[in-house]
Amino acid sequence: MPVNHNLPVRTFSVVTGLFGLFALLSFSIRKGHIEQDAPTGHDSLMIVKDSAASVKAFLEVYNVLMSPRCMNCHPSGDVPLQGDDNHLHTMLPQRGKDGKGVYAMKCANCHQPTNTPGEHTPPGNPNWHLPPADMKMVFQGKTPHELAKQIMDPAQNGNKTPQQLLEHAHDGLVVAAWNPGEGRTLPPMTHDAFVKAWTTWLKTGGFAPQANP
Amino acid sequence: MTTITRRSFLKNAGGAGVALWLGLYVHGEVGKTTSPVTAAHFTPWILIESGGKITIYNTKPEIGQGTFQAIPALIAEELEVSLDQVTILNSNGEKELGTAQRAGGSASVRTSFSDLRKVGASAKEVLIQAAASTWGVDAATCYAENATVYHRASGKSIAYGDLVETAAKIELPKTPVLKDGKDFKIIGKSMRRPDVPLKTNGSAVFGIDVKVDGMRYASVERCPVIGGTLKQFDASAALKIKGVVTVVPVERVYGIHRNTGVAVIADNYWAALQGRKKLRVEWDTKGFEHFQSDEYEAGLRLMVSQEGLTDKNKGDIDALTIAPENLVEAFYETPMVAHHPMEPLNCIAQVKDDQVELWTSTQVPSNVTGSGPNDLHKLIGVAPENIKLHATFVGGGFGRRLYLDFIVEAVNIAKQVNYPVKVIWTREDTTEQGPFRPMTFSQLQGGFSAEGKLVTFRHKVISPSYAESVGRNFDPNKVDGTMVEGIAEQAYEIPNIRTAYVRAGYHVPVAAWRSVTSSTVAFAQECFLDELAWKAGMDPMSFRLSLLSAPSDTKRVLLTLKEVSGWDRPLPKGSGRGVATWEFFAGLCGQTVEVTHLSDGRIRIDKVVAVIDLGEVVNPDNVRNQTEGAIIMALGAAVKPDIRLKHGKVTHHNFYDNLLPRISETPLIDVHILAEGGKVKGVGEPGLPPFAPALANAIFAATGKRNRKMPFDLHV
Amino acid sequence: MIRLTVNQKTHKVDVDPDMPLLWVIRDIIGLTGTKYGCGVAQCGACVVHLNGEAVRSCVTKVSRAANQKIVTIEGLSLHNDHPLQQAWAEIDVPQCGYCQSGQLMSAAVLLKENPQPDDAAIDAAMSGNLCRCGTYPRIRKAIHRAAELQQEAGKKPF
Repeated sequence: MPVNHNLPVRTFSVVTGLFGLFALLSFSIRKGHIEQDAPTGHDSLMIVKDSAASVKAFLEVYNVLMSPRCMNCHPSGDVPLQGDDNHLHTMLPQRGKDGKGVYAMKCANCHQPTNTPGEHTPPGNPNWHLPPADMKMVFQGKTPHELAKQIMDPAQNGNKTPQQLLEHAHDGLVVAAWNPGEGRTLPPMTHDAFVKAWTTWLKTGGFAPQANP
Repeated sequence: MTTITRRSFLKNAGGAGVALWLGLYVHGEVGKTTSPVTAAHFTPWILIESGGKITIYNTKPEIGQGTFQAIPALIAEELEVSLDQVTILNSNGEKELGTAQRAGGSASVRTSFSDLRKVGASAKEVLIQAAASTWGVDAATCYAENATVYHRASGKSIAYGDLVETAAKIELPKTPVLKDGKDFKIIGKSMRRPDVPLKTNGSAVFGIDVKVDGMRYASVERCPVIGGTLKQFDASAALKIKGVVTVVPVERVYGIHRNTGVAVIADNYWAALQGRKKLRVEWDTKGFEHFQSDEYEAGLRLMVSQEGLTDKNKGDIDALTIAPENLVEAFYETPMVAHHPMEPLNCIAQVKDDQVELWTSTQVPSNVTGSGPNDLHKLIGVAPENIKLHATFVGGGFGRRLYLDFIVEAVNIAKQVNYPVKVIWTREDTTEQGPFRPMTFSQLQGGFSAEGKLVTFRHKVISPSYAESVGRNFDPNKVDGTMVEGIAEQAYEIPNIRTAYVRAGYHVPVAAWRSVTSSTVAFAQECFLDELAWKAGMDPMSFRLSLLSAPSDTKRVLLTLKEVSGWDRPLPKGSGRGVATWEFFAGLCGQTVEVTHLSDGRIRIDKVVAVIDLGEVVNPDNVRNQTEGAIIMALGAAVKPDIRLKHGKVTHHNFYDNLLPRISETPLIDVHILAEGGKVKGVGEPGLPPFAPALANAIFAATGKRNRKMPFDLHV
Repeated sequence: MIRLTVNQKTHKVDVDPDMPLLWVIRDIIGLTGTKYGCGVAQCGACVVHLNGEAVRSCVTKVSRAANQKIVTIEGLSLHNDHPLQQAWAEIDVPQCGYCQSGQLMSAAVLLKENPQPDDAAIDAAMSGNLCRCGTYPRIRKAIHRAAELQQEAGKKPF
């Protein structure tokens, strides 16, 4: 794998405004050019910065994250969304502190460990939930720039290190997007392709697309 | 369990000791007997046994409207017993209990109010006489209280149960004296309903809850294209599902609509559902697969040019020439909606030789066991005396359970097997199969004189025909009265009125839906009245009152509404208030709605005030409950998705797309009851028709947007 | 054989493990207070408590409930005297009554987890339960009343 220490910053500075450059520099300074977390799980993270490749990969990632199967559980409000039109979930279940609903309206009261057979039945997962109230991880309404920054920010991503982010692509609830229950559309690419784009994005530095294209 | 079987009914009549039945002969005369089984044309309502047990029969199915309390209350009031002292039994369509065992038209109390009190009063008088003769005193010196007769001077008393034998020999008074309203202990008081405790611990038995020995379960696949029917089916895969016993074709009959489906019968309902999914069925869709609601509705719009059949013609509307600038015209559209009682349709049927036994939730026990031309016996080819019904509490009717189609279907399955079968409709079945409330389209025109008085009013309804669909009293050359319900009979004093009806053919089965056609035509007419008020430059309440110079129930309702709703209190900018009222066969209610147009475009319903005019009220708290519910049901019909067909199929399936209002959407509702004597009016339905127009009128007042089509958005 | 504990009574049922708990409770065990309304977790008529949570039994496979603690409306109280049942009677909440088992079972979880619910909490807890008769205003009122009764009962033996 070719390693180029100089390319990212320079290339990026050409295509972005001053704000983007500043943001990127602060990121680079904090994280350094190459990081390697302890090798656990599916893959280990060897960051080789390449802002162009990173941004390109993220735009693919973004299309998946903004698809109904992902975004519907990352709403801007405290009620999940449903359907390809992202309407508010019928009967308006609330997020609750832990993201698992409230009172008689907890996610698992309807969402079973597995998909319920038939169309328009609750999709299932043993860990069905929204992001918790103190870490809402909103996707809805976010630009590619905003979403990429948010995901890379431990204060907004559930304190995940880049290595943990890498593994998150294989999280059961993430994978559930590709087994959404009868009659539901799938994300716009396969899970394998998503993992590839996600990994590429992270391994090339987790760059955010520019804020104001 | 609070229902009786026919067996127990007969056993009661022939039991030990003396049983005294008191009731009504068909011509309204009060009567009594010790053997009701042999008495023809006699409806027993009260049974007093020598042991002291008092039973009152409720012959109006309890569908949530409160008859389980209100009907016995009428009798108990005059009989001088409390409802705690009596056993209330729901009737099962027994021939002995008459042909009026049905719940519909908000008719239960309003048609029984004086008759049932007469029964109670006669019973009380005969019991007092029995006591007086026992004591050798004048009956006038005695009185009844708490199921006991007292001698005023001596304080002596005898319980009713101990008077039965003597009372049986005394002639009933021809004209019993009814109590003065001010002495009522039950009527007019907010009493707890005796069925409520049964409905808080799961012990109330609905049709779907009944289990019969040897019973199996069935689910029926019906043609998804409405109007289509079975061509052929392959059940081999279905029969491989564990628990599936057999698969049979079955015909369902609804009015003129006859269609055959496929019934999967299994040891449990879940297995029947699983088997049903494995059926391979070929349908004959008869061309109905090309049907589109959009196209049909476009056709209804074109039919407005037809003159139609004249319904009412008051004054001489053609003789008047109205200046074009003084004419207001508008076209209103309303949709089909589904009933959706929470208890899915169900029926257990058992056929043994020529005997049919049924267990079901129905609004019409008398039509199940009766011998009338539209009763069940005609549809299943079984003699009425061979049909036995076990009626239960009913988990919601709203008109859907006035019909026998689901019972016919169950019988037709049971005829093919030798065990009882419980058929349960899925929620999808009820959403996709109908019948539905028919849509009505309305053309309206109002004309003002040069002096600004409303002098002409026209309302033409274009719609499918209810009578045609249900196959009753249909004549293509006559107006279907159901479809123009109330439009010519409002109290407004307009000198020239013409109402008309244009019938549109329709292959989709249609039905009465709570408040029937008033739930749609009132929207058109009362919104249009609002348009006329704005045209006249008048406040909508003042405009209505200006059309009501003579005393009328409507005028009384509006004047009360004006006061209790604070109509004249100014609202902040962005808020609006609307009013509507409607009088029809069931009764009369007026409502105001206050809304606020929020900054994000949403319409928030702040408050609904209802004034319901009853003449007499039995249980005020229940009336409030009913009216609150009617308003919430009307809210659903006003703003939630309607029933539509694409390629002949209903596009909605269950509560996830055929939405109903939920608790979070419920506005504040304030109900006022007028019970000032006069005609006794109904409770269950009148709260419904005024809501949608009052809401639409409020939205107009708040935003300037006129909604002329239901359902409409709560977003402007 | 699947072992279920329903209202503190143990049942062994020989059913397809995929059969929804609703039909096992109604058709096999024979407790019919729990109702079928929609079959797809939209209406709440089928709510039972599974380990204290208000699950929709129509989409809950019986296998999920195996060896777990189930409470149905019949087991909400011994004498129809749960504060909610008392309040329901006092406010005369039900009309047809068909949805009320589910309403009560949902409300019971609300009151357990929030003894003094405000209107927003009631909306959040109860929006999963449909009532076609439209008893919502009374359900709201009765939950507030039950909260009072529960608090009073906390002060003296219930």
